[in-house]
Amino acid sequence: MSAFASRLAKVADWLDERAGIKRLTRSALDEPIRGGARWAYVFGSTLVFLFAIQAVTGMLLAIYYVPSADHAHASVAYIQKAVPGGALLRGLHYYGASAMVIIVVAHITQTFLYGAYKGKRELLWVVGGVLFILVLGFAFTGYLLPWDQEAYFGTKVGTSIAGEVPLVGPLSQRIMLGGTELTTLTLSRFFTAHVFLLPLALGLLLVLHIYLFRRAGAAGPFHNKDDQRVERFYPKQLFKDSIFIFIIFLSLLLLAEIMPAELGPQADPTSDFLARPAWYFLPLFQLLKYFPGKLSLIPTVVLPAVLFGLIFLLPFLDRRAERNPVRRPVATAILIFSLTGAVGLIVLSKYEDRANPEFSAKLKQQDEEAKAFLKTAFQPQEIGRSVPITAPQVANPAEAGSTPLKIFFANCANCHGADATGGPIGPSLINLARARNLTFDYLTRWIAGHGREPSADSMPRYKQLTEEERGELADWLLKLDKPVEQAASESQTSGDGEPPAAFSANCALCHGDRAEGNIGPSLIGVTSKPNRTEEDLLKLLNNPRAFGLKDPMPASFPALTEDDKRAIVEWLDRLKPK
Amino acid sequence: MQPISNSTEVSGEAPASAKRRSFLGVVIGLIWSAVTATLGVTIGRYSIAPALSSTGTSEWADVGLLDEIPEGKPVKRSVVVSQNAGWGRFNSQRLVWVTRKGEQITVFSAACPHLGCTINEAANGFICPCHGSAWNADGEKLGGPTPRGMDVLEHRVEGDMLKVKYQYFKQGAAQKEQVG
Repeated sequence: MSAFASRLAKVADWLDERAGIKRLTRSALDEPIRGGARWAYVFGSTLVFLFAIQAVTGMLLAIYYVPSADHAHASVAYIQKAVPGGALLRGLHYYGASAMVIIVVAHITQTFLYGAYKGKRELLWVVGGVLFILVLGFAFTGYLLPWDQEAYFGTKVGTSIAGEVPLVGPLSQRIMLGGTELTTLTLSRFFTAHVFLLPLALGLLLVLHIYLFRRAGAAGPFHNKDDQRVERFYPKQLFKDSIFIFIIFLSLLLLAEIMPAELGPQADPTSDFLARPAWYFLPLFQLLKYFPGKLSLIPTVVLPAVLFGLIFLLPFLDRRAERNPVRRPVATAILIFSLTGAVGLIVLSKYEDRANPEFSAKLKQQDEEAKAFLKTAFQPQEIGRSVPITAPQVANPAEAGSTPLKIFFANCANCHGADATGGPIGPSLINLARARNLTFDYLTRWIAGHGREPSADSMPRYKQLTEEERGELADWLLKLDKPVEQAASESQTSGDGEPPAAFSANCALCHGDRAEGNIGPSLIGVTSKPNRTEEDLLKLLNNPRAFGLKDPMPASFPALTEDDKRAIVEWLDRLKPK
Repeated sequence: MQPISNSTEVSGEAPASAKRRSFLGVVIGLIWSAVTATLGVTIGRYSIAPALSSTGTSEWADVGLLDEIPEGKPVKRSVVVSQNAGWGRFNSQRLVWVTRKGEQITVFSAACPHLGCTINEAANGFICPCHGSAWNADGEKLGGPTPRGMDVLEHRVEGDMLKVKYQYFKQGAAQKEQVG
């Protein structure tokens, strides 16, 4: 024995005398396996490994993750796109979650087929059932955390389902959400459950599960012929466990590399996102289609209650010593029915989505949007005010419908944008004066072009404006702290009248119900723009192409009478910020 | 079914299988070393690399119009400093003191070189309220625990606008030394 090895042995002895590690190691490795090592037994160890992977990767994700609706998505995007090794660790966590659900089902199936819940193993089995529920709880709470479209809408549907349960539903939904709506409070709650409560519960129950297992001993094969042969856990079973775990680990690494964990654009509650749950909740999702209205309680409450009731009661109901699955036809049939049913429902829901052209197109589009988002480079989120606190303080924001606003539309909007947030040529004017500590005098001089070299910038000199007009504009610019359109639409609520029916029928789909803009641009203040006087607009409606408007603006409006057109144009003119 | 006691006869104890046992032990060891190494390297990169990367040098920030810096009397201005910190780009306010002597403009960081308190204006210069360090109007050290004079920041004039490059300096050092 080398000097190093003997020194190592001494350290081991020192530790052993105090901590008893040798006995602990021996009792772990020498666990007797009745009937010898088998590949069928690898799932338990694999689940312990996967839980460890989830715990380690989860803790690491928490280094950068922020559980707030404002920042969650940005922080996950940062992990996924910018942090070295971030995509890999998040991929392990993401696919590890799915792997855990699969292996839990495999573990339960093996235990069930082998009748390994029999023989004073009721507690062991029941604790295992609770662990299964906890794993699903992890999946449900973790789904929301990235705060992307899928997370938001998936959880919205999930919590709504919970809310439909009679009696306890509405209250439990409120408690889950932390209120009536899915907000940042919901995110905090799900985060707390996902990283504090559930891991603690699962960790403790896992210890109990293993303790109960070691106390009861391995059940061994269901046929009793070589029951007398007993192998130790080390080396053969540990070898088989390690090989299987290694295959799972490599698969997770490979998946994380080849198909990076999904992350779509940030949650947008106003979008018409087509929500689909994670694959392991698809059976429930599919069943909901067959049980509309009040009947939906069957898949959401009755069926899970029956299923888990059966699981929990199984070792108490099935008291026979017989463990061979062939000689337990009812039990085996129930298992096969449940498994094929679940898989069948998953396949069916996927198939139905694919067969429906509307759904498949929408899902494909969403998928492409998510992929495109993943491909774009990481953009840090802009935080905090960008205006110095020593900048000139102003009392009021820009007032809608004021004289300066008219001057703005007539002179500035073409370059600086109708909402003053910047156009093709001119920069945004919002907060510009405050951000740059510009004074009233400076602005009036700048507008007129005094002290500005003509070649220094492309902005025209507005000498045609009177001293007074420039003053008003400068004053207005000093106060301008939000887009003009916003101010305009605020004024709009104070009586421009309802849009004419002809507008609602022909224009609102694209330009918004109150012309605030949607697919088509906002039409608020349109009559202040060049070539868009009331007369121009009447001509435009006869032939939009002549005004340079392209598809999707229709080439003509045959359904509109001259009176309709006049009503629309007059209403649009009233929308002009006065 | 009774738990198996350790006295139960156990197979695989014969000398012939000792070789197989050690082979399996080696494979098991390799597998777990590979798993640990893969995770270890990734975890190291993930948790340490961003901490060592540069926070991004500060860009030129607007202090205000040059015309508005008075002669002789220091003025306190806040500037917006943008800093990359992981998932966000944080705009926060930092204070500077600006003095003017004719054409000579000086911009001082308002952070005390001692322990980072905010430097105030005094009768004929500057003073730090925390530990009583004092400087004259040119930012030269007069007394107190400060290790050096006030930190001068790089500035430039663009058109009418005075701009400053806000930077952080090591506290407690006798010489000005940039950090970050």
